[in-house]
Amino acid sequence: MIHISNILLAMILLSVLLSLRTNRLMALVKLMAFQGVVVSAVPLFQTTAHGINVNLILFFILLVLVKGLFIPGLLFIAVKRVVSNREIEPIIGYHASLFAGLIMIVFSVYVTNHLHLANLASSHKLLLVSAITTMGAGLILLMARRKAITQVIGYLVMENGIYLIGTALAKEVHTQYVVEFAVLLDLLVAVLVMGIVLNDINHTFDDVDTALMGQLKD
Amino acid sequence: MLQLTYIIPLVTGIIVFSLPVKPGRLILLATAVVHAVITAMEWFHLTAPLESSYFSTTPEGMLVLAILSFLFLCISVYTIFYMAETEMSKEPVFNGCMLLFLAAMSMVTIADHLIMLWVAIEATTLMSAPLIFVHGSRESLEATWKYILICSVGIALALLGCFFIIFSMEMGGIHVPITFSSLNTVADQLNPIWLKAGFIFIVIGYGTKMGLAPMHTWLPDAHSEAPSPASALLSGALLNCAFLGVYRCHLLMVESGMGDYSSNALIAFGLASMVVSAVFILNQNDYKRMLAYSSIENMGIIVVGIGIGGLAAFGAMLHMIHHSLVKSSLFLSAGNIFLGYGTKSISRTGGMLKLLPKTGVTFFAGFAGISGFPPFGLFISELLIILGAIQAGRHVTVSLFIFCLILIFAGASRLVMQMVLGDRPEEKTLIPEKWMRALPPIILLLSSLALVIWLPDSIYQTIQQAISSIGGTLNG
Repeated sequence: MIHISNILLAMILLSVLLSLRTNRLMALVKLMAFQGVVVSAVPLFQTTAHGINVNLILFFILLVLVKGLFIPGLLFIAVKRVVSNREIEPIIGYHASLFAGLIMIVFSVYVTNHLHLANLASSHKLLLVSAITTMGAGLILLMARRKAITQVIGYLVMENGIYLIGTALAKEVHTQYVVEFAVLLDLLVAVLVMGIVLNDINHTFDDVDTALMGQLKD
Repeated sequence: MLQLTYIIPLVTGIIVFSLPVKPGRLILLATAVVHAVITAMEWFHLTAPLESSYFSTTPEGMLVLAILSFLFLCISVYTIFYMAETEMSKEPVFNGCMLLFLAAMSMVTIADHLIMLWVAIEATTLMSAPLIFVHGSRESLEATWKYILICSVGIALALLGCFFIIFSMEMGGIHVPITFSSLNTVADQLNPIWLKAGFIFIVIGYGTKMGLAPMHTWLPDAHSEAPSPASALLSGALLNCAFLGVYRCHLLMVESGMGDYSSNALIAFGLASMVVSAVFILNQNDYKRMLAYSSIENMGIIVVGIGIGGLAAFGAMLHMIHHSLVKSSLFLSAGNIFLGYGTKSISRTGGMLKLLPKTGVTFFAGFAGISGFPPFGLFISELLIILGAIQAGRHVTVSLFIFCLILIFAGASRLVMQMVLGDRPEEKTLIPEKWMRALPPIILLLSSLALVIWLPDSIYQTIQQAISSIGGTLNG
């Protein structure tokens, strides 16, 4: 069981690094779908204490549907309809972003080792490392890219990271399906609303470049 | 029964989306009335207490719910007559989102589960975003984008904070439901380090939503670009809801014996907000932005008061009530000014007493109220906070606090004087003012006045219960 979860974590880290490096928007959206599916699968292989029950599997299917299908689907439509230029246009270059991602991994290993979490299983330590890296990479994507749609993707990567931290730390949450469902619903609506605003931004500005928006300041 | 406060607006909100404009307006008003009736019944304990694993009634929640319900009733009357003048093409969307926004905020006030509260606060962001960009102008789109992105990222950090608090519970080896009410009972067994970390993340997260500096950057944009009824709701009700999230966590910290730490954090954030708004209000040329910075200032005042505790905590709760009433009245007046002059720029307004006499009076009276002049309630609440701070021996805090108040008053009074009494070359307005649009701001101001003259015992008791666990009292 632990081996499978390690493979999943490695895949998450790879997808994070790739998303920092890629220069095509479509590739980024596909990476998001992949990352969504893998992140949803992680809790399945972490519940050694509780065992796998029907609820867990049902919830896994729901997560995959939302994170792996609906949200990337919405992003896919947005890229097709809205974005004319499918280059990513970074503020911080690809190599610098990738390097920042690597530093993020080192940093999260350092943090995890210095938290003194005696009652955390060793497999959870790895989970925490990849979770913190994912969250940090999401923040980098959010700040270092100019297009509004990449900012949404950055937010989603960050949200994935926070979800993984929740999986690593707070086991109790993942047995409360009503609450988790509500969080998921919020995420879905967030992407929907952001998509609608994106569409309007594109209509008004003829682009989704946030550098065009600088009217409001003091 | 209390769940109806969010179920009814949720259902009617979805219905209004598909209805034509006129019945939509009626449903908006009807829902506001029903919401007020349910809140009043709950307030006077006419219904069975709430039994649910995710929701519960708390004194501070009931206080915020009562303010919300009253404000929404006044604002919905105003909205109907405001919308009739503006001919907005997307009015069903606006009315529907107002109702969904009401549902989300009502859910915040009764949420007891840590993550349910998070879900509700995030829902308020999502439901209010369409209210801001309903005009579809470049500026409003920019404001909306900033609002969604900054608040969503901030609130995502609050989710991390929630996970940390849950982990502090698991580290402490206890298993209780993840609700504030049950966590408060076992607060001393929680792991202190993780609880502290959780508190900081939650203050940053919900503080973003509340407009605490330095996470306030979305607030002036969103408040100035939204249509005025939405700004009034954002400033008068939404900021209180975010404050409720911060306050619940502060209570948890106090119960676990780390009240000093959280108090100092709150005072630091509060003073920072006051300084920032004092700096930015001085050279403002947009009256709605001016009001928005004033909201940042007042949120700062509230958290400073809560952080100091004792007499100041009572002042802070009183301040929350009166700020909501006066500030939403000001935003509604600002809407009338915008309809009258067709501009948000201060330099192109003027002579309001002659051109828009009713609005001129409400705007000026509202300004006197928000600057802390008697007979309005903010005078008493600010005085209580200052006295509480001196009593607690926090002299640096109190000097900075008073200095900021003076600076903001000096900056804003110049602008307001120019608007109300200044000269204006053209002697005509675009849309003449109407009683139905002037009445809601007047009612809001009068209710603030009435609460100064006579504070009903039930409100007094509720405030006392809300602040008793952080050592707050009026008899300090």
